Amino acid sequence: MKSQATDGPQDPGQASIKTRRFSVSLVWIVPIVAVLVGISLVVNSWMQEGPTITVTFKTGSGLTANKTEVKYRNVVIGHVSEVKLSDDQKSVNATIKLDKQAESFTREDSQFWVVRPRIGAGGVSGIDTLLSGDYIGADIGQANARSKHFIGLENPPPITYGEPGKRFTLHTQDLGSLDIGSPVYYRKIPVGQVVAYALDAEGKGVNIEIFVYAPNDVYVTENTRFWNASGIDVNVGANGFAVSTESLSSLLVGGIAFRAPEYSPNDQPANENKTFDLFEDQQTALAPPHGKGQYLSLRFDQALRGLKIDAPVEFLGVEFGKVVSINLDFDAKKRSFPLNVGIMIYPQRLGQAHLKMLETLKHNPDDEAASIRLMGSFIENGLRAQARSGNLLTGQLYIALDFYPKAEKVVFDPTARPVIVPTIPGSLEQLQEKLEGMVNKINQLPIERIAGNLDSNLVELRKGLVQFNARTLPGVQTTLADVSKTLQSASSTLADDSPQREQLNDTLNELGRMSRSLRELSDYLGRNPESLIRGRPDNAAPMDMKAPPRN
Amino acid sequence: MATTDQLIICEHCDCVYEKVTLAKHQKALCTCCGGVLQRYNGLSVEQRLALAFTAMMLWIFANFYPVMSISMKGLKNSATLWDSVLALSQGPITFIALVAAISIIIAPLFQLVLLIWVLSFALVHRRSPGFKVCMRWLETLRPWSMLEVCLLGAMVAVFKLAGLLDVIPGIGLFALAVLSLMLIRIAGRDVRDLWDVL
Repeated sequence: MKSQATDGPQDPGQASIKTRRFSVSLVWIVPIVAVLVGISLVVNSWMQEGPTITVTFKTGSGLTANKTEVKYRNVVIGHVSEVKLSDDQKSVNATIKLDKQAESFTREDSQFWVVRPRIGAGGVSGIDTLLSGDYIGADIGQANARSKHFIGLENPPPITYGEPGKRFTLHTQDLGSLDIGSPVYYRKIPVGQVVAYALDAEGKGVNIEIFVYAPNDVYVTENTRFWNASGIDVNVGANGFAVSTESLSSLLVGGIAFRAPEYSPNDQPANENKTFDLFEDQQTALAPPHGKGQYLSLRFDQALRGLKIDAPVEFLGVEFGKVVSINLDFDAKKRSFPLNVGIMIYPQRLGQAHLKMLETLKHNPDDEAASIRLMGSFIENGLRAQARSGNLLTGQLYIALDFYPKAEKVVFDPTARPVIVPTIPGSLEQLQEKLEGMVNKINQLPIERIAGNLDSNLVELRKGLVQFNARTLPGVQTTLADVSKTLQSASSTLADDSPQREQLNDTLNELGRMSRSLRELSDYLGRNPESLIRGRPDNAAPMDMKAPPRN
Repeated sequence: MATTDQLIICEHCDCVYEKVTLAKHQKALCTCCGGVLQRYNGLSVEQRLALAFTAMMLWIFANFYPVMSISMKGLKNSATLWDSVLALSQGPITFIALVAAISIIIAPLFQLVLLIWVLSFALVHRRSPGFKVCMRWLETLRPWSMLEVCLLGAMVAVFKLAGLLDVIPGIGLFALAVLSLMLIRIAGRDVRDLWDVL
């Protein structure tokens, strides 16, 4: 540049010209930006797009394509993109597009259900869907395996969102009034609920699955007993009338209560999925455990009206079993109809006696042969069963096992199954027999002869009386007249105006005067004893002037 | 006849004028009726094409993203332009649905496709195949393209419903707004300049 300045003006140089093959104006930025925005939107939605799954429901009620949402904890995690009938027309397949973040809902054991308003005895749920429309609820699973197809639940699962707590299984004879959602009470506080129930494998019982929420699940211990708290428990006792129920809602929808017995040492919280028995009521639940039962058969020769199944079996007055069966039998030899009564006894209920007996006899309760031998020795010593009347009014019978050393010896058959315990007639039967004997003796008395004798005696007696009337009574009458006369004369003698009485009065007056003068004399002598010898002094005051001493 | 190329007729009163070259911010008016004869057009063919592509993009947005979504007490609904046409077709006025479909979806689409077709060839100074037909159709379609009407309707709906429901304008509505403005600019009467250029 400097050299140019010093060299003076020159001709302008030729600028080189470049021709661009394509000249692109800046205006193209506009469509490019638009395309970029479009691409970003598409990429964004593609990134947001999660897995697509199919859920099979029984009906498509409440499911609308592109509208029904899938929610977890009330947050939208996807939506239904298509609702179609399945190929066999037996169900509805809902195709669900999940969000990217909901990828974990493809775990194999994830659950999907339709949330719609439900009104049940246990409460009302899904009210919000009345306005917003039904949606699909989802619960995340735990499994590692992934799946694309799910079976939708017809009812919402009672326990969702990984609620902390424990599941337990209860085994019982029948479901009763329990249902899914029925509450589980601990000391009358609801701490869980029934989540499922099913028949057991053989169909002879029901397995009820319950869920107890944390932190109360620790109160379910190894020793815990569960009982059915449905319904009302009415007790009529000496103290009056008592009604108890777990809660009003348990009256309607049933419920389960549990508690460990008051004395349960070394109790540990139960492990998850432990199986318990469900008892009928609190009393049986908290009663000491039965232990192993033993079935015995009894054979009665007399009618047992009033003996019912479940009637108690007592041993020396302690209840330790119950009657489980009563069957009429036919004895071909005797041509009679004996009764076979089956009883179930629980020796463990005898408590201390049972324990000590086991100890002394070194008996193992699991050894069947040994226990039968033991029973045999008891029978040898006079163990007999007897149907006794428990209640004279209703005539209900119970079975009493007792020792009767004088009872007839019975041959014990150790091979018989079940073990047969010999019986003796019931107490009421014995009483009847005695009464019968007495009546027979009375029948044998010669009542007619006695009556004949008595009759002739009475005739004699009447004759005697007639004689008495005819002869003796007149004499008596005259005697009585004489007596009356005598009494009359006596009364006239004693009358007020009779001369005898006046004379008597005079005599008595005289006697009074005489006694007075005698007293004066004795007084005077008392004061003046010398007068006995010297006679009366002259100056002696007249007696009447002095106040006589009163005696 | 060669001179007729330089003549321009007022479309309102049929007065004939000579074409003039206009500078920025200028427009030619008819002395007879005052109608606008010519306007300065600052867009080159290239710019026009670029904007046509942009408009095509916006058309796609407007048709595939919801115009607006409404929600009330948990009930939620959103609709695209095509949904609105479908909604109309289910009512008793199916014919209106057809008109709506033509005026807000099909006509703008055709306009854009034709424009892109014509302009792409114009960029390299060539007449595209079927140039005459395309230009005539562009002219014919213009009154049928009523995107701005649709936009106004959608905005009225948004404002009216806003008091009753929760209304959220979607991407589609914004795309629709820009698209309708852009269509006025690029598919206006100025397209006829192409006759002169080519």
